[in-house]
Amino acid sequence: MTDLIPMGALGTPDPARASHGALTLTENTALMLISVATRPGTPAPHPLGLHLPGPGLWSQGQGAAAFWTGPGQWMIETDVPDHAERLRDAIRSAPGARLTDQSDGWVCVEVTSDAGPAPIRALLERLVNLSPDQVAPGHATRTLLHHLGCIVIRRAEDHLAVLAPRSAAGSLWHLLRETASRQVPAATA
Amino acid sequence: MSRLDLPQSRDALIDRNRPLSFTFDGRPYTGFAGDTLASALMANGVQLVGRSFKYHRPRGIFSAGSEEPNALVTLRSGARAEPNTRATMVELFEGLEASSQNHLGGVRHDLMAVNDLAAPFLSAGFYYKTFMWPRAFWEKLYEPAIRRAAGLGKLSMEADPDSYDRGYLHPDLLVIGAGAAGLMAALTAARAGAEVVLADEDARMGGRLLAEGGLLDGAPATDWVAQVLAELAALPNVRLMPRTTVFGVYDHGIYGAVERVSDHLATPGEQVRQTLWRITAKRAIMATGATERHIPFADNDRPGVLLSGSLRAYANRWGVTPQARATDPVLIFTNNDDGHRTAQSLLARGVSLAGVVDSRSGARSLGDYTTHAGAVVTGTKGRHGLRRVQIRTADGSDSWISCGVLGVAGGWNPNVQLASHHRGRPVWDGERLTFLPGPDGPAGLIPAGAACGHGSTIAALADGRRAAQTALTQLDRTAAAPALPQAEEEPSAITALWHVPGQRRAWVDLQNDVTVKDIKLSHQENMRSVEHMKRWTTLGMATDQGKTSNVTALAVMAELTGNGIARTGTTIFRPPYTPVALSVLGGGDTGANFRPRRLTPTHHWAEANGATFVEVGQWMRAQWYAQPGETHWRQSVDREARAVRAAVGLCDVTTLGKIDVQGPDAGTFLDRIYANTISTLKPGRVRYGLMLREDGFLYDDGTCACLGDGHYVVTTTTGNAGLVFQRMEFARQCLWPELDVTLISTTDAWAQIAVAGPKSRALLERVVDGFDLSNDVFPFMACAELTVCGGLPARLFRISFSGEVAYELAVPARYGHALMERLMERGADLGVTPYGTEALAVLRIEKGHAAGAELNGQTTAAMLGLGRMVSAKKDAIGAVMSRREGLADDSRRLVGLQPVDPGQKLPAGAHLFAEGAAQALATDEGWITSACYSPHVESYIALGFLEKGDQRLGEVIRCANPLEGQDISARVVPAHFVDPEGGRLRD
Repeated sequence: MTDLIPMGALGTPDPARASHGALTLTENTALMLISVATRPGTPAPHPLGLHLPGPGLWSQGQGAAAFWTGPGQWMIETDVPDHAERLRDAIRSAPGARLTDQSDGWVCVEVTSDAGPAPIRALLERLVNLSPDQVAPGHATRTLLHHLGCIVIRRAEDHLAVLAPRSAAGSLWHLLRETASRQVPAATA
Repeated sequence: MSRLDLPQSRDALIDRNRPLSFTFDGRPYTGFAGDTLASALMANGVQLVGRSFKYHRPRGIFSAGSEEPNALVTLRSGARAEPNTRATMVELFEGLEASSQNHLGGVRHDLMAVNDLAAPFLSAGFYYKTFMWPRAFWEKLYEPAIRRAAGLGKLSMEADPDSYDRGYLHPDLLVIGAGAAGLMAALTAARAGAEVVLADEDARMGGRLLAEGGLLDGAPATDWVAQVLAELAALPNVRLMPRTTVFGVYDHGIYGAVERVSDHLATPGEQVRQTLWRITAKRAIMATGATERHIPFADNDRPGVLLSGSLRAYANRWGVTPQARATDPVLIFTNNDDGHRTAQSLLARGVSLAGVVDSRSGARSLGDYTTHAGAVVTGTKGRHGLRRVQIRTADGSDSWISCGVLGVAGGWNPNVQLASHHRGRPVWDGERLTFLPGPDGPAGLIPAGAACGHGSTIAALADGRRAAQTALTQLDRTAAAPALPQAEEEPSAITALWHVPGQRRAWVDLQNDVTVKDIKLSHQENMRSVEHMKRWTTLGMATDQGKTSNVTALAVMAELTGNGIARTGTTIFRPPYTPVALSVLGGGDTGANFRPRRLTPTHHWAEANGATFVEVGQWMRAQWYAQPGETHWRQSVDREARAVRAAVGLCDVTTLGKIDVQGPDAGTFLDRIYANTISTLKPGRVRYGLMLREDGFLYDDGTCACLGDGHYVVTTTTGNAGLVFQRMEFARQCLWPELDVTLISTTDAWAQIAVAGPKSRALLERVVDGFDLSNDVFPFMACAELTVCGGLPARLFRISFSGEVAYELAVPARYGHALMERLMERGADLGVTPYGTEALAVLRIEKGHAAGAELNGQTTAAMLGLGRMVSAKKDAIGAVMSRREGLADDSRRLVGLQPVDPGQKLPAGAHLFAEGAAQALATDEGWITSACYSPHVESYIALGFLEKGDQRLGEVIRCANPLEGQDISARVVPAHFVDPEGGRLRD
């Protein structure tokens, strides 16, 4: 085990966190990401029974979740280190499947609401040019957010996750906080 | 001027219990909540609100809406000062400050009014004609003088203190305009369950229903408006957006809209000032209403002359009329029945009426007032405001009528602008004397109500319902038809009168001071196309875009050409419909957040260690690390470069693109991407590769490492990382989909640190976990996956940009900061030194390695001396084209250059000429690509491309930079200033 101390994408050892009205933003530093690709024409694998969904979708399984990133390509998410290892082994053993560890390639900010879906919907309306259908629970879409290429995952009615390139974590955090904070006066007005 | 009495139902439109104080040109006034600045000024008897654009003529409020050409004021002060704000669109708030524009001295005694005397010299196209000679005077004298004299308001030149937002909506139906047609359309669609957005530029929804005195279902129309809005507001599928102007129609059903979130407040407080909405609507209904036109006659621009329908709106909605003195009577000039409706409304409000001048012979009064049938207005008097109006009656006699206000009714022009944004051409309706939206408007945009000629209340309500039903049917929805409220008949007969002929100036475009004479002159000067007339006269330009003048001008032009209005046609309408602030178009991201910034994993470490940063693409990279006592960047850079050559240096190179290439066909794929062969690369080895563009020029360079069978890591330059990845994905998906290969960008996933210098191996030995770094086991161009610092997975590449023994060590990005600290700590006794991009550049120039300046899109592999890297044994992108005539025979070659006088600086970008040759394009022999001070050579050095440079070593040439008068002698030397044999990096 290395004695080097990892640092969050925002430059702090502890996950960044902020609250604005009903919305709470938390940097998810525990998230591990593994991208999976298959040979064209081969069926989608089911590593450890995890369902790899179709275009625009996100699916949750036991200890892991997955979203579609391209034809024959998915990203698998887990925050259980042992599970990540077992998933890697399972992918390696699937015929024609290949994996790339992307855990450090992305920053993930979880946005949760303690007042139901409305604050999340209002936030999404200010963030991405996607219709409510495309950001409904169970959907994941790669899109532009203030000129930043991101992946937007609606984990639940009251829960959104935004993934951006790790190097742009500061910009992502700024724009999410700024946009979330602007919802507060509007909601109280 | 005191307020008029309004029926109780209308009192809600202005709140007499909420007085608001404001100032205009520094003088205090009072208005009420619900007032616009324009209505509040009228209530205070202020008629003169500004000076005209060119002639500096006194001007007053002309309309009651966004079409206003005259009443442009500067709102607020200091950094929030906003010029050219239409007083008719400004909601009054407590403490509002407004000032008039475009005058020298006070607005009542504008010194620039002398321009009006020079009017004969300021006619159409005057600046094209008058200021031709002498040529040199244009830039230095004429233009600055004209700009000072003309123009509208002034910018504060301070930074905007407010924030702006953007947002996206995706309704089934966007209804633009909340008048009779828009409300009925929204109601129909909302009851059918469609997602509806209803946007209106006004703060209060209702459109002309707020301005007319008529009844709906026997009750004031405002009651019906309130009921409908209450129902809509209660529905979850409806979003009401007042203060929101839909300013443009874009592709794929996207509408641009600006919501003025807090413009109506003194300061935005916690809120944003405005929001830019992109509304992607399945269908849209254009219920944008109509704008009244006026009838040009002599001196028709005097304060007190305004549109008749606006006069009616001021009386009915705000309880005001625009006389300077309350007792002054009002006169109406009309060519249609609508002028008489204004007379009726004013009588009902108890306003003193001087009568109606109706150009139609046989016109009759619709109430207890005098009508001058068959008469026209031929002149006005009054210095700062209207005092008298001259009319010519049907029998040809002239007389003067005393009055304080003249309402002019020339008919209504449907607001077709949005329907024309995709170059849709409006169609002339000779019967209604209006342009209607053409059949070739934007797909999915359905005009309704007055915007397509159904301007009476009854017709507008029915047409709004019809439009919504059409939209819903197209969306496969069924809609019940809500009952229409009962409305009164509104007479609308009209007889064409486009202007009153005369010798004096009659204004067509009030904002740009364009008169009937100007249009005639433009015609005389052969401006026969309406587009030419517009440019020659400047008609229809600036903030109002000719909303009150365009059609009238076309009609005048049609009269001159004899072509008729239909054949004359209109100019093109383009977004925005009304002015949009640049701040809101920017979406609120300014300063450091203007665009995304990418930070390296060691950014915070570098910041704490004195780094100066430089933008490289979106990345912020450490440029150098200043140490205490260093006062000039060169001191830092020289020290860093020396440390790398003497000991060991550390540089964050995370920014280089890293593309993970996997699959059984990865080698074949890379052979086609790179000009040289990659498939023969063995696991554990790295190769330098060149990529070409399709046209054969150099595209990008970098290393390719083979980590295992069918697994490679492609490294790109920082600036091209995204482009190379995109290009490779294109090739994978579109050119060779049959190849089984996967590409994943992992640039951000790995923190990569260059460890360079003769002591780099010694340093790395202190962090690797038992990995043999000896030259035999891990030679130059080797790579491996290993662990460092007690089990941290890492990748190590033995590659060198500096020419020294060097490695690049990659660890998961979250450990980059800690690794940097660890290497600094473990290397302290070895003299470890962090270095930035400047020292990196010095080191690579000394070594003759190419970078972005050498790969600038105009250079070839052969020019770099790497022609043989373009393999002839296989095909690759650009390989065939690189052998074409004109490219293959380019004989410029990369050389090193050293100044003959070691004290002289070689400028990058200088062009190279033979000694004694004339310095011209024909004798140009190349250029300097990169230059720096070399602490190793102890003089400036440079790289450059020189004609047959490889055969001219030792020759002295000239480096010329004519822009700055530089002409320096330099000796041609090999491009390797250090270790030309390359022994060091293999040690």
